[in-house]
Amino acid sequence: MNLDRRTFIKGAGAGTATCALASMLPGSLAALERTELKGTGSEVASICEMCSTRCPISARIVNGKNVSILGNPKAKSFGGAVCARGGAGHSQLYDKQRIVKPLKRVGERGEGNWQEIEWDEAYAIIADNLTRIKNEHGPEAVAFSSKSGSLSGHLFHLAKAYGSPNTFTHASTCPAGYVIAAKAMFGGKIKRDLGNSKYIINFGHNLYEGINMSETRGMMNAQMEKGAKLVVFEPRFSIVADKADEWYAIKPGTDVAVALAICHVLIEEELYDKAFIDRYVTGFDSFASEVKAYTPEWAESVSDVPAEDIRRITREYAAAAPHACVDFGHRSTFTTEEFEMRRALYAANVLIGNIERKGGLYFGKKASGYNKFAGEQVAPVLAKPGVKDMPKSDAKRIDMVDEQYAMMWSSGGIYQTILDSTLEAKPYQLRGWVMSRTNPMQTMTDRARIVETLKKLDFVVCCDIYISESAAYADIFLPESTYLERDEEIADKSGKNPAYYVRQKVVEPIGNTRPSWQIWKEVGESMGLNKYFPWDNMDTLQLFQVGSDVALLNKIKQDGFVSYGKPLMLRERAMVQNFVSAYPNATAPDGDGTYASHLKFKTPSGKIELSSDKVEKMAPGRGVIRYREVTMKKADELFFIQGKVAVHTNAGSQNVPMLANLMSDNAVWIHPVTAGLLNIQSGDKIRIYNDTGSEEGHALVTPGIRPDTVFAYMGFGSKNKELARATGRGVHCGNLLPHVTSPVTGMNLHTTGVKIEKA
Amino acid sequence: MTKRYVLVHDENKCIGCQACNVACRSENNVPESVTRLQVRIEGPYGNYPHLHFKYNRVSCEQCENAPCVKVCPTGAAYVDDNGIVSIKEDKCVGCLYCVAACPYKVRFINPETRVPDKCNYCKDTRLARGEQPACVSVCPTQALVFGDANDPDSEVRKVLDTKPSYQQKVHLGTQPRLYRIPGRKGGIQA
Repeated sequence: MNLDRRTFIKGAGAGTATCALASMLPGSLAALERTELKGTGSEVASICEMCSTRCPISARIVNGKNVSILGNPKAKSFGGAVCARGGAGHSQLYDKQRIVKPLKRVGERGEGNWQEIEWDEAYAIIADNLTRIKNEHGPEAVAFSSKSGSLSGHLFHLAKAYGSPNTFTHASTCPAGYVIAAKAMFGGKIKRDLGNSKYIINFGHNLYEGINMSETRGMMNAQMEKGAKLVVFEPRFSIVADKADEWYAIKPGTDVAVALAICHVLIEEELYDKAFIDRYVTGFDSFASEVKAYTPEWAESVSDVPAEDIRRITREYAAAAPHACVDFGHRSTFTTEEFEMRRALYAANVLIGNIERKGGLYFGKKASGYNKFAGEQVAPVLAKPGVKDMPKSDAKRIDMVDEQYAMMWSSGGIYQTILDSTLEAKPYQLRGWVMSRTNPMQTMTDRARIVETLKKLDFVVCCDIYISESAAYADIFLPESTYLERDEEIADKSGKNPAYYVRQKVVEPIGNTRPSWQIWKEVGESMGLNKYFPWDNMDTLQLFQVGSDVALLNKIKQDGFVSYGKPLMLRERAMVQNFVSAYPNATAPDGDGTYASHLKFKTPSGKIELSSDKVEKMAPGRGVIRYREVTMKKADELFFIQGKVAVHTNAGSQNVPMLANLMSDNAVWIHPVTAGLLNIQSGDKIRIYNDTGSEEGHALVTPGIRPDTVFAYMGFGSKNKELARATGRGVHCGNLLPHVTSPVTGMNLHTTGVKIEKA
Repeated sequence: MTKRYVLVHDENKCIGCQACNVACRSENNVPESVTRLQVRIEGPYGNYPHLHFKYNRVSCEQCENAPCVKVCPTGAAYVDDNGIVSIKEDKCVGCLYCVAACPYKVRFINPETRVPDKCNYCKDTRLARGEQPACVSVCPTQALVFGDANDPDSEVRKVLDTKPSYQQKVHLGTQPRLYRIPGRKGGIQA
């Protein structure tokens, strides 16, 4: 051997290059002897699933194995970009710790003892147990839950075929606040046109860490290339706060006060769009009289945001109208007054009449509606596969205990009622839980109560790609093919004009995994429910969608993302003119050259309901948006708030090698003054605790947080041993949040009080 | 005329999301324990409420007057015709002089190849295929502009001509070809 200096360094490096493999988990990719990897093409357009934004991607096979992932340049508003999580998709795909064989629990629940089994055996055990529960207690005794998204419909179809009304998405742990508020006011979900906005008021919607690619890009472009002004109200100095023109460290949970004060100024100073209100809005008068009391001075006393700034910002906002918007936010439920807060944020938009205007709010333009305006078939309309004569359940859903939540029952349900139903038999006893791609142990609140629930149930099935903290308590674990290994139905991605895209296989499934649409079909068949699953495979479903138009299907698959027509906002004259000149048979515009007279809302009145009789009936006292004081913490506690980080997705990505390598721990942010009083320095081990739970972590002392508040990124501190890269690292936020359900929206709560001490 | 490849990092548009870091790792097969490219979110600096972060891109500065090239005893480290500081693996004897000489501390020994490694603007992969470097293509907020600064019509030329920019440690005479557009809130800490 030629012992030169270079070889010596080679030898020295070799030691560090060997990475210690976690103990071989049964069913993991590492436990397989050898994997044959087959690519289905060298560059495949598909859809990301590293988070729920589901960006269009283009995945590449390198050397038959490695896949690198970039954005699909065909999707213009995504600009060919992906975030760190999207770019790390192949790291998840080939992760040795991924589970690629069905598993059966052999020890106690949560103990972590697993045995590999075949699919047939897994199905037989599931069929036995679910059939037994159905016969003894009725099908409603089993809950089915899935992160909402492309394949959740297949699990809910199984639930329906089985006969249970108890289906849940993650809605009440994440987006239901803004969804339900929009339903109440506009009759359905509404979108933001941040990219064309000239003035954006943001209440902690951290689009620069909780990345939503087209919105993130749009907002940055508006800010940096078009001179839009961004004002951020957030207790923490986040990245979006850093990028803002003005940042106010608002007191946690008081956003609704500032939003109402903005509405107050708009009305008192007559800065609102009277013509818009007259034409499209009902309930203005009662809102206006309620808002009279919410002066900026009052808001300042509640929120710590100076009254003069609220006034000035409101005037600037009104001056930019209608090309301005108040961002209605996303996940975090800052207080139990979530419904009032989201409605107040929408109200500040309605008042300046920015609906269907550039830079404001707008409704998605799907093919059927768009074609009607155009007077021709601009975009193909996809068929919706469905099965006739599905069984009807007589049982009530477990979350149907209070009429005020009626809007949630069809919007994902109140997820956390699974806990009450299991532990307290409210309104009746739940006995089984089938979950798919969901990790309530992290994303719901009060972890200890979830553990109790999972231990008490008769039977728990979990379908996922890792043994998540929740899956750790399953009786049967079903390994799902990752999004890079499966085909799915064509999905609607319409914005201002219709668009479709599709998820397709980038590589053949690794190991013995199956796509969950196939898993739920096979589970159904194993219970003799074959007649409810009349399709053969995903090809059948896709062909049904396109009405057997193979050329269309191929086009969508080839391009990955196909958009049709021109962007259309009904109250934008130039856009309507463009639209009319492109389509000779288009609906004739109004006298003012817009489609303003066609703007309708799916509310009981057909108008925007600034105040709502329907809501008043459901939840007496809540028809009109109103401020209510809430107790968020005890006097001697600090506020505890959480947020998203750009390199992880909630609680789903902490074990992905590349992402764990970037960040595997969450420090607790503490203001220097607070830290000084507690004698805590950056890096110190600390204990953070309250009546709900206690966690150990470490401190980050930073001026980027209010002195009365501490912050941690969510999703860390898993407690099950199967997630080797994530377990025991950082603070588990769900273990500190109490089990509380907010009025009307059914949201669980993400702000609470904690105490901190040196550990 | 030869090309003069430069990269501009706009610290106003950068959100520190690490999409560039991950894309670079994938494209260039960079082992887990080392990195060619990071964006460090530093701070917050300033006094409340006037705080700001600094988004510090840490990668090869592509010096025109490169200390790593000067100290290389074998000619393994060199600047190619397009101005990209490059490494001829065959000529490298692993003396580590270049790693020590780099004032920006961005050269490292690749634990798999055992040869010094660093950003080379994806010259063997994406540039060779006529594509932009991975970090530039993937950037969610279009914070990076890459191109030939000798081409008066290039976007990169336009950006450098119209926006204030700075380079790091210019007092060393290294003449970096990585330009930075300073954050509008902070001062320049070069």
